[in-house]
Amino acid sequence: MLKQYLDSEIYSAIIKAFSFNDINEIRLRVNENVIVVIKNKKFYLKDENNNFVKATQQNIDNFILRASGHSIYAFNDSITQGYITLPKGIRVGLTGKVVINDNKIVTIKEYQSINIRIPHFVKNCSLLAYDFLVDSSGVKNTLIISPPGAGKTTFIRDLIYQLYQHNISKNILVADERNEIASAVNGAPQLPMGGFCDIYTNCSKEFAFKCGIRSMSPDVIVTDELDLNNDLNKIIEAINCGVNVVATIHAKDINGLKHKAGFEEVIKNKYFQRFVVLSSDEGPGTLNNIYNENLECIYCR
Amino acid sequence: MKWFLIFVLISTIMLIAYALSNQYRDRLDFYTNLTEFLRRFKLNISFKQDKVEQFLNDTKPRKHFKQFILSYKNYLTTGKLDLNAISVLSDEEKNELNEVIKNMGRYDANNEIKQTEQFIAEMDIKRKKAEEDKNKLCPLIIKLSLLFAIGLSIILV
Repeated sequence: MLKQYLDSEIYSAIIKAFSFNDINEIRLRVNENVIVVIKNKKFYLKDENNNFVKATQQNIDNFILRASGHSIYAFNDSITQGYITLPKGIRVGLTGKVVINDNKIVTIKEYQSINIRIPHFVKNCSLLAYDFLVDSSGVKNTLIISPPGAGKTTFIRDLIYQLYQHNISKNILVADERNEIASAVNGAPQLPMGGFCDIYTNCSKEFAFKCGIRSMSPDVIVTDELDLNNDLNKIIEAINCGVNVVATIHAKDINGLKHKAGFEEVIKNKYFQRFVVLSSDEGPGTLNNIYNENLECIYCR
Repeated sequence: MKWFLIFVLISTIMLIAYALSNQYRDRLDFYTNLTEFLRRFKLNISFKQDKVEQFLNDTKPRKHFKQFILSYKNYLTTGKLDLNAISVLSDEEKNELNEVIKNMGRYDANNEIKQTEQFIAEMDIKRKKAEEDKNKLCPLIIKLSLLFAIGLSIILV
């Protein structure tokens, strides 16, 4: 899968030591050991002589050049947002020297590291929570809470798929700001999303909510990585228009969320009816708790 | 019979002369195609922003430039660049082209455009030189060959 992008010495070391189906992340940092992440455990990559494999600047440059099809200019919009999406939903996060001109990010160059994230469509991972989130009237306004890498995106992706599987005939608008949910390449989602989805990729939440409600008449809007400070007004507007919202947010747990600005207003006005807390305790996507709008725990692991 | 042999001799020499001078025509053809290719590439980056592979697939090359496109496509697939099959170029010119290809597609749109403009300017100088060579050397080769053929015929007669 990554053969055409990775330099041969790294690729061969990976396939000798691991199965691609198990890998969650591959991290390359200039002059540092290559790290392979499997189920939140980190492994240093070793070659056939049992030496650690170090990534070079050349390895990283080559990867990005190949990933862009030797056409960095065609990928610059997503590079300036810090990632490239590859076929099959593989997302490559990248860091390096950020070039800014007139307060605008022009590009990233002199790459320092890349994080190759291999998505796994975990079928039915949201099924346990499904009955708490969906009823005959439709999808409840839901906030998925977890620390980074604990499976929020995988969860909402499966939830979208489950709505399709359960034939809940709702128009679902996916506001995929960083192309993480659908991982669309040339307009086609690279992971199963079902047949009810309209997807905006690489656009601001503001655009997706405003134009989406006006032009796509969605029943549900699904979005990733909510910032209560900046995005709450869009959520309120959508809810007031009769559109349900499913969103994710970074927080360790419900107590972590309570410290975030804007949360008080969310609870006071009961904007969300369900709060789903995920963790990596038993692998990414472990369902810990589900709370209702009064923050009463209605499901505990 | 004697006049027939002289006719064959002159025709053969002129044919060889034409083949020799053709190299200059091919060089001009190659550099004209290359500058045209780079200009289209620049335009593409400004508006459509196709990936390089798509752009190469949409290019309809001919003669020696076809080999350039094939080598470029091969480089995108295998990472190995071999321009040896382009016989109209010197080794130095092949090395320069090597650098051109290896640097294409490495930058954001603005810098890619600037770089492509630089390539166009450099290749246009070569195209003009090839045009000069063609205009000067092709008729010269033909004339000298004709003189040589006539001289040889007179000696033989």
